[in-house]
Amino acid sequence: MAEASDSRVRIAFGVLNGIAGVVLLVGVFVVAQPRFWVLDVPAALIGVAQLASSVSLLARLRWALRALAIAAWVSFVLGLIIVFLIVLTMAFLRGIHGDYGVAALAVSGLVVALLVPYVVVLPALELLWLQRQRSELRP
Amino acid sequence: MTPRGLLHLLTAYGAVLALCSLLLFWCVRVDRSRVPRGPVLISIWQHGERKARVAATDESSAVRALLAEAAEPGATRVVEQIVDSAPVLPLGRLIFAASIAPARDGVSATYQGRTAYLTPDDLLKLEAYEAVLDYGQLGISLGANADKVLGPLAAELGTNADELFRHATFRRFCVERSSHYPKELGAADVSLDVVRGSVLNAARYLLHNQKRDGSFRYEVNAMTGDDEPGYNFPRHAGATYFLARTANQLHDSKLFRAAQSAAVYLKDSQTLRCGAHSCVGEGDTVDVGASALALLAYVELINGGAAEYHDAALDLAGFLRAQQRSDGDFQHIYSVAEQHPVDVQLEYYTGEAAFALSRVQRISGDARDLEASRHALSFLVQRPVLFLGGHYFWGPEHWTCQVLDDLWQRAPDRAALRFCLNWQANNRVLQYGALADRPGIEGGLSRGPFLSPRLTPLASRMEAAVATLSVARQAGVEPAELATLGAEIKSGLAFLLRYQYTPGPAYLMPDPRAVSGGFPGSLVDQHVRIDYPQHAGGALLRYWELEHAAKEQ
Repeated sequence: MAEASDSRVRIAFGVLNGIAGVVLLVGVFVVAQPRFWVLDVPAALIGVAQLASSVSLLARLRWALRALAIAAWVSFVLGLIIVFLIVLTMAFLRGIHGDYGVAALAVSGLVVALLVPYVVVLPALELLWLQRQRSELRP
Repeated sequence: MTPRGLLHLLTAYGAVLALCSLLLFWCVRVDRSRVPRGPVLISIWQHGERKARVAATDESSAVRALLAEAAEPGATRVVEQIVDSAPVLPLGRLIFAASIAPARDGVSATYQGRTAYLTPDDLLKLEAYEAVLDYGQLGISLGANADKVLGPLAAELGTNADELFRHATFRRFCVERSSHYPKELGAADVSLDVVRGSVLNAARYLLHNQKRDGSFRYEVNAMTGDDEPGYNFPRHAGATYFLARTANQLHDSKLFRAAQSAAVYLKDSQTLRCGAHSCVGEGDTVDVGASALALLAYVELINGGAAEYHDAALDLAGFLRAQQRSDGDFQHIYSVAEQHPVDVQLEYYTGEAAFALSRVQRISGDARDLEASRHALSFLVQRPVLFLGGHYFWGPEHWTCQVLDDLWQRAPDRAALRFCLNWQANNRVLQYGALADRPGIEGGLSRGPFLSPRLTPLASRMEAAVATLSVARQAGVEPAELATLGAEIKSGLAFLLRYQYTPGPAYLMPDPRAVSGGFPGSLVDQHVRIDYPQHAGGALLRYWELEHAAKEQ
């Protein structure tokens, strides 16, 4: 029973990481122009890590959990940094432009709201699940 | 990671983020509504150049400063008191540039114990606001051009820009100033007399900047008095149309003669053969826009008594009809070299052609002109029913609703009226209401938080808005919707009137008379291109016509 449940979770994380990785890489490297290394490097790191973990989870490879842990940590840490920088930018622009900058606040807020599920919530859930897996494996 | 560990981590993260954001906000903000507390900057401007400046620490010394210089012929004494200031964070040129709010902030630099100031007037004069910042491959338009800001500050402090940037401390500041530009003018001040005066001033700008051959000074930089390169025939024709229309409506013979001179330039120097008809433009290809706007101008001239344009007008109408496709749209280009239409579409031209055909039909009496215009209007207002975005994304095309108005008595189109009302509802979302810390932009259209509103995109939307109001009144639209549209128009027109050069910040200009009556591009773009007075004056004239007729009735 527990094994079936784990298998479903692995598939769910595999699919979600795959979608998140593809959306991120396509969004940054196909849709967004021109190239800007400040965005490209973290996006490439997160996207590649998520795709690797997705493939390994769905193919039930031996190193799947390790790949998932790396992908989750990379996404979680870079995600928190990106959200941190966006919020600081919002505070900066609000300070510079006052009421006039409300539209920028709204757009930046929307960007944060769209990012958080993929770069904070999903990797956090994966890290919690990995922790439970490890504690269950302990004698 | 355990749930408890995650909770602790996120709590700490949130606390640090909130603290850093608050500190950053309080560090960079300026309070524009506080009682002025900084030094008073007294400047003497003469012939568009700053001749002297004194920074007085108290008001009593400020009152006496530079009085002798102010008495010189052509000198203007401008007093600006610093209201509040905040540090510019020393985090590179991008942050430096982004720290200056366009049209509102000045910058000071303190270097080796001395302080130099660039006030908002200085930055306007330097054309330093809203420059495109090239950062890597990204081009971002915000704040100010760091090089244009640093150069004059460095020169004043006896060093170079790089040295200054490395070792000086910078502050942004806002000022309260004695200048009367922009004018303090609200929607309640938009009277018929004010509007009429403004239209005449806009038309006279074109009159005073017309050359002997009938062409115009295309784009004048008010800050330098110089001409920008280039010329555009659709815009020349549009300016001619506005001159002729103003002359007819406000009975000004000088303006009519100027319109005739501009039309002669089109008819005799810029008319080519495009198949069986004539067309307007130059080179191997021409566009439909120049011919459409020339046709509008010819029709106005014929209405004013210049019957010699009759045949030319009908010939251009034939050209436009020949360019129309079966779906109502037009082929916007004609290859003069190869003598065939080129089926590509560009912004505005379909609306211009439809409007011109509607106008000329009153003279030609040709049912084909009316049908072509009606068909084009129907094409222009088609919105895909199942595409959700079609209800929320709107372009700047502003001729469609003028076609609606012109056709309404002959071929009423309720779908087009709904389209125009919806478009104006969308424009109202973008229109600034009253902002406590920035009263000058009320009525303007937002271009996003980092850029100042531009005048011409608003003006062209106001042309369409007044046309929509005219039809909405005839069609019996709900009074509440009429009132909302009317309020939008008055607010928009007040914004335009506020920034018209009557005379504008004349002390910053080497030749204020050359741009008198013109409308600038934006709050920070002090150029006058021929289409700026055309559209702003056109919107005001439409409003004057509509309300004047209503008053007469």
